[in-house]
Amino acid sequence: MTTTHPTTDERQELVRLTADLLGRHCGPEQLRERLDAGTAHTPELWGRLAETGLVSALVAEERGGAGLDPSYLSGVLVSLGEHAVPEPFLETAVVATSVLAAFPDSALAVSWLERIGAGDALVAVRLGALTPYVVHAGDADLVLDLAEDGTVRALLPADVDVTPVQALDPLRPLATVIRRGEDAGTVLGVAPAAVERARVLAVAGAACLLAGASRRLLDLTVEYVGVRRQFDRPVGSFQAVKHAIADLAVMVDMATSAALSAFDAVDEPDARRRAWAAKAYAGDAADRANVSALQLHGGIGFTWEYHLHLWLKRVMGLAASYGTTVTLRRELAVELLARTGEATER
Amino acid sequence: MSAEMSTETSTVEEFRAEVRAWLEAHVPAEPLPSWTERAGFDLHRAWERTLFEGGYAAVDWPAAYGGRDAGLRRSIAFAEEYYRAGAPERINMGGLYLLGPVLMQYGTPEQCERWIPDLLACRTIWCQGFSEPESGSDLASLRTRAERDGDHYVVNGQKIWTSMGGFADWIFALVRTDPEVGRRRKHHGITFLCIDLRSPGVEVRPLAMVDGTRGFAEVFFTDVRVPVENVVGEVDQGWRVAMSTLGFERGAVFGDHAKFTADVEALAALVRVRGLEDDTRALDELGRVLVETEVYRANVYRLAGIAEAGGDLDSTASINKVFWTQMQHDIFATGLRLMEEDGAVVGDPAAVPYADAATRRSWADWHHRYWYARAAMIFGGTNEIQRNIISERVLGLPMEPRP
Repeated sequence: MTTTHPTTDERQELVRLTADLLGRHCGPEQLRERLDAGTAHTPELWGRLAETGLVSALVAEERGGAGLDPSYLSGVLVSLGEHAVPEPFLETAVVATSVLAAFPDSALAVSWLERIGAGDALVAVRLGALTPYVVHAGDADLVLDLAEDGTVRALLPADVDVTPVQALDPLRPLATVIRRGEDAGTVLGVAPAAVERARVLAVAGAACLLAGASRRLLDLTVEYVGVRRQFDRPVGSFQAVKHAIADLAVMVDMATSAALSAFDAVDEPDARRRAWAAKAYAGDAADRANVSALQLHGGIGFTWEYHLHLWLKRVMGLAASYGTTVTLRRELAVELLARTGEATER
Repeated sequence: MSAEMSTETSTVEEFRAEVRAWLEAHVPAEPLPSWTERAGFDLHRAWERTLFEGGYAAVDWPAAYGGRDAGLRRSIAFAEEYYRAGAPERINMGGLYLLGPVLMQYGTPEQCERWIPDLLACRTIWCQGFSEPESGSDLASLRTRAERDGDHYVVNGQKIWTSMGGFADWIFALVRTDPEVGRRRKHHGITFLCIDLRSPGVEVRPLAMVDGTRGFAEVFFTDVRVPVENVVGEVDQGWRVAMSTLGFERGAVFGDHAKFTADVEALAALVRVRGLEDDTRALDELGRVLVETEVYRANVYRLAGIAEAGGDLDSTASINKVFWTQMQHDIFATGLRLMEEDGAVVGDPAAVPYADAATRRSWADWHHRYWYARAAMIFGGTNEIQRNIISERVLGLPMEPRP
């Protein structure tokens, strides 16, 4: 496993590749088809993500992947958010690959890594209080249950009762997952550090997705107010409209910076603080994106035909997942008080 | 500035350790009194001298001028250590953050040698002369005139809201040198001119501020003779120099995030000393500003990466300005709210001694910085002007019809 960070050029190239793929295979029309069909995940799109090497990017080379550092995927995650990709990429390609790699002596863990690397497995992740609902659990071939104490369990569909709930964002399906008995599933081991790293990756990764989805709401709004005319002018030329959009742009830009930086810093000593802050702020930015985008679109934004609601719902769903703004910042405040209190006593 | 040019051979962490040791040995044990009064100002100036003699006044500036050529990453590490150590506030902001960088971009070698070492050593305090009574957001409507007379300009007019005006030795000012072209194209015919405030015909009238301090001033010029070699950049092309100055004022001061981190730690101390550790409202307030400072830190690192790769930060300056000024206001307003009824007590240190102890500064200083935070949302181009820039120039929204 390498810990090399990508160069600026490599980052841009990966993002370009991702955006190009998603532009062709995950546009609003394709999202609508899934909405109509009542399904989020499709093997076709997942297969394409796997073919390009994105799904196996973090899997070790000897397991069939590229063995890259997670930081190669931060910009990719923002791009996935921009396209409201309805696949468990964060869970499977990022969180699961990271956790499974912590158990090199487990034949089971190794075989799942190889399946993920081959594009042949979808994994859902349960992360204690961060995931009261488990995203894509109904599609998953494997649920990884990461307990607070660091115990990692591999749960097969036969080991769990998956009960879908009606999610606000149908393209990001949620379910409750209950183990069928205390002994259901296989304990891969106890690895508190790997589980903590998985938590940071999930929270920072969700911040990246959220920043990307908020960026799309900003872009859609900028585009719309540039063409919608009232009083013989584009409504985007009115200062009241401009300033609302400028305030949103500030938040989206800063949320993107924080999310990328937190995801890239997953192995730094202050990784948790950076991830928690990034997700907390991305949640605030997403709220603003949601409110301003719909307000500035007016009536058209409320219609089913117009695409805005795909992203409105995506940001609402993501903001409520992997820690809400309120809980994350409260935890940060408690941690700050503890940290600075100790320093004073010393 | 000197993002990639570093002659330092130490690693960033070695440099950090060196800085930490030096600060431990030199930072005054007790916080200095506020610089807004003369006695406190002199002590701050003496501290700046100590910093300069240690080689730490601006570590990323050229060694030839008294810097260290230490590069951007070490400069950020320096600032992080500086504010962590609770070292005094920097007082020569106009020189350090605005004029210095502008001179290195537009100044002649002679101008750099003449002015930069003195400003780094705090032998000269600089202030900024942009705003006029009738020219705020519409800066290019400025009327202060400079007429050529031999090898001098003769300056007449008035500047206002001049921060540090009462303490400054020199002013860098925008003056109109070609009123004729300015009538047709008002951004033309403006010149960036450095003026010694001790020149005959200069009158500085300190303005009492909302908190009673004398931090800013009006500056009047009556037939003030200024040598032509004090022009920075080209004559009549001062608007470009001014925009560059404002870019520095709005953009990231690399390392400044550490100051806000220290402020939020002071807030945590206030929460503890007031027994609010389990109060969810207090935790929410503290958590919100902590998140903002962490986000700002992340953004500083990102912009540093762009700068090191030779990228352009122009389009980020306005976004940065709106964010950090709002964050700064949030921090100080949150402090006042968390102090509840004691937030309304300023002038009686005996009434709130616990706040001084908790924040390691005087509570009056917290109020001063609160008002400064309010000012920051106005100076350097109001945040409303920044929103115009963001929407029209960064996002490309349609221009507003101009009268």
